[in-house]
Amino acid sequence: MSITSDGMPDNSIVIDVENVTQRFRVYQERPDSIRALFAKFFRYEIQVHDFDAVKDVSFHVGKGEMVGIVGRNGSGKSTLLKVVAGVYRPTLGRVTVRGTIAPMIELGAGFHSELTGRENVLMNGLLLGYSKREMKEREQKIIEFAEIGDFIDAPVKQYSSGMYMRLAFAVAIEVDPDILLVDEILSVGDMGFQEKCFERLRRFREARKTILFVTHNVKDVEEYCDRAILLDQGRVLLDGKPHEVIEMYSAITAASHPHEEVLEPAVGQ
Amino acid sequence: MIDLFRDTYRYRELIWALALKELKIRYKRSFLGFLWALLNPLLQMIVLALVFSTVMRIGIDHYAVFLISVLLPWTFFAQSLSYAADSIVGNADLIKKVRIPKVVFPVAALTSNIINFLLSMISLVFIVLLLRYPFYVTWLYLPVPFLALVLLTLGATFFFAALNVYYRDVSHILQIILQVWFYATPIIYPIEMFGKYQWIFKLNPLIFALNGFRMGVYAGGLPTGKSIAASFVCGIGALVIGYAIFRKKQDQFVYYV
Repeated sequence: MSITSDGMPDNSIVIDVENVTQRFRVYQERPDSIRALFAKFFRYEIQVHDFDAVKDVSFHVGKGEMVGIVGRNGSGKSTLLKVVAGVYRPTLGRVTVRGTIAPMIELGAGFHSELTGRENVLMNGLLLGYSKREMKEREQKIIEFAEIGDFIDAPVKQYSSGMYMRLAFAVAIEVDPDILLVDEILSVGDMGFQEKCFERLRRFREARKTILFVTHNVKDVEEYCDRAILLDQGRVLLDGKPHEVIEMYSAITAASHPHEEVLEPAVGQ
Repeated sequence: MIDLFRDTYRYRELIWALALKELKIRYKRSFLGFLWALLNPLLQMIVLALVFSTVMRIGIDHYAVFLISVLLPWTFFAQSLSYAADSIVGNADLIKKVRIPKVVFPVAALTSNIINFLLSMISLVFIVLLLRYPFYVTWLYLPVPFLALVLLTLGATFFFAALNVYYRDVSHILQIILQVWFYATPIIYPIEMFGKYQWIFKLNPLIFALNGFRMGVYAGGLPTGKSIAASFVCGIGALVIGYAIFRKKQDQFVYYV
């Protein structure tokens, strides 16, 4: 299963996911109150069951690769990305990441609506582990990329959703991490900006940086990724060339929704 | 314990930014803005001073100074706890999206309250001037009980922040606890009032640090060595216990927030 592109030597693996299982405890009624605690204590009534969002998943990503992760809703894509980002500590297995990592998971999660764009840029950078000085150096580039002009000193609650998104994307890409985790974000924003984002991602890759990319849009996977991974019910169904993965993805999507058209049919082949 | 200091140092810029953010948001959209952090305690103290020097006369010399000298550190303690109890739950959005040591949130909440406290001490200087109460040289000693108080508060902060993740009732119960605690602590009354039962009050870990404030500002003396030692034993003890609990649970927070 471990494919490094172009037979690169093993030491260039930057993301190493080994037999990772991510388990969530699902409470029928979560004991988030004292009442429920008493109930649990006296009657053992709270139903719990464990749910594995990601099951025994292994893969490597080599330096400079762009890997797409596809799968239906609930297949564990976002959970897997969060495990790689270090938000979750895997229940079983191990994740090794070499280099700085910037998650673009849900853009602008760290933005506070009362703070200005500039303050939020700094805050977001600090949250990603960069120093104030590093962020000041990058600030101009971020503002330019986001095409936000004088609005940078206005509270972000006054931003349009497009501006908000552009600024968040700009922060994540311009901090220039070694590894970028992208979750389904390029589907927002107008065509022009999307184009620009992909152009920027291309330059990012030319600098031998790594991208892990979750999406539903199989066309982007076909066009930009070196490799793709298909997840289904938390397991890796296929890890291989984008067109093979997309073909299989289309097949399982068609099988589960026989009456719906597959929106993005596999291209070619 | 070492990782607490390491993470705090490594993320000092983030902690500072989060603390400032909290203050900024608190005073946002008010005309006087940040000045409120100074004015608010000042006005409160003026009211207290007026009430106790004219309306209600209490048989304690300069009761206003007597009261305010411990009321300020108490307010710092109570407010820090209220803020910090929500610091993990309130930052759920971040915790679920970025990998970040969880300690930064309670520490940032405490930092913003330390800033507030220092500003309120400036107001205390004004009040003491206004009341023509003498400035004792023992003011210089105040950083010592303050350090003990910060350690104690930080420990309590970790404990309540962690507990509140699992049981949201905690932030409500905390308000009641603080009210009872307020009256159980010799803030509005002198401990000497209770004669031979004074030892009961000494079960209260807060009392030793607060005593340092009252001695320094009001009495113009220094607490006994035993009292100073006790204040640090309580502070360090609370921090060790509170942080141990927080640390044990912190990896689980993301599933419960």
